[in-house]
Amino acid sequence: MTEGDSNQIKHETTIFAEPIFEVGGFTITNSLLNSWLAVIIIILFLVAASRKIKKVPRGVQNIFEFLLESALDFADSITRDRKKTIKLLPICLTLFLFILVNNYLGLLPFIGSIGFVESAHGENVFIPMFRGGTADLNTTLALALFSVAAIHIFGVFAVGFWNYINRFINIKAFLEIPKKFKEDKNIVLVNPIKSFVSIIEIIGEAAKVASLSLRLFGNIFAGEVLIASIMAIFAFFTPIPFMFLEIIVGLVQALVFSILVLVFMSMSTSAEEH
Amino acid sequence: MEELIKTFHIDYKILIAQVVNFTIVLFVLYKFAYGPLLKAMNDRTKKIEKGLKDAEEVGKKLQETEDREKEVLTNAKREAQSIIESAEKTALKNKEDLLEEAKKKSEEIVDNTRKQLEEEKKKMLSEIKSEVADLVVAATGKVIDEKMDDKKDKEIIERSIKS
Repeated sequence: MTEGDSNQIKHETTIFAEPIFEVGGFTITNSLLNSWLAVIIIILFLVAASRKIKKVPRGVQNIFEFLLESALDFADSITRDRKKTIKLLPICLTLFLFILVNNYLGLLPFIGSIGFVESAHGENVFIPMFRGGTADLNTTLALALFSVAAIHIFGVFAVGFWNYINRFINIKAFLEIPKKFKEDKNIVLVNPIKSFVSIIEIIGEAAKVASLSLRLFGNIFAGEVLIASIMAIFAFFTPIPFMFLEIIVGLVQALVFSILVLVFMSMSTSAEEH
Repeated sequence: MEELIKTFHIDYKILIAQVVNFTIVLFVLYKFAYGPLLKAMNDRTKKIEKGLKDAEEVGKKLQETEDREKEVLTNAKREAQSIIESAEKTALKNKEDLLEEAKKKSEEIVDNTRKQLEEEKKKMLSEIKSEVADLVVAATGKVIDEKMDDKKDKEIIERSIKS
């Protein structure tokens, strides 16, 4: 990266994932490649871990059981119902694992350093083969959409379609007016407000998707930019503390994402209106 | 919105691909790790609970059996005692009965003998009397040498004896 070199290669951290190649009109980006890597690693790990599940636990199974038990207990503190926890936990556990592995894969040394140089607009741009999966808004948006969809599906199954739809378009509040009018005249005023509040919930759902996806993406992408900047200052030793920081951030963000989804799920499946 | 899509290079195909990735991970986690592990844990919990319950029940049963054993033993002892007592009583009674009977019999025998003796004595006395009368008749006949008829004779003699 010497100045004035005619073959100058530009290293830049783009806010989007760069396309690597195309298969039949399907663009494969470096983040997608990294996600596939993460999927393969998780599957290998899970299958290896599950092959020795026995009634009498030995060795590693004890650790997994301890982890699962802790996760169940922790989730219980949010849902306050073991049955609900058992139903909801798989999605949250998968989110946690998937995000965590993707976050950490972005930190590995060969990620972001193996790549090729592409010439465009008279500039040579280095394009890494791999990019942290969660450092691409596509990934985080997909996760957020999936989670919010799951939240609503669980909600519909838990409280019924009619009850659930009334949380967003409160037809019930209007239907109640003639029935309760004699007892309470205020209902003419209160219930339209109620129904307006439930319309706000729809905006809340969109906000959920935006906040979940952008929070994760922002944190991980910022980490990449931060490490790239520090590397630009001095490539040896100086990035190490920031690497540790990113390890913590990766864990925290995975936890925050999955716990938030669990909280939303437990709210959408609880019977009482909020 | 369009700007957002442009800035972040959001591609619905990649979105779908990522959702598929996530679904695969979810499926594998649920099928291979979460489900089996949870099942193993639940099964173990149930088994241990059942084992503890069974052990408790067995202990209770053992206690019951011991109690019953004790009860049976005490009953048996009591019964044996009563049997022995009654046997003793009957034996004593038998002995008394036998003694009494023997006494009665011996008394009877003694009585009988005495009666017989008395009768014999009476008989002897009457025989003797008649013999004496005959003797007297013969003697007086010889003395007076006058014989009345036998009938008169006897009458006289009897009168004399009686008087």
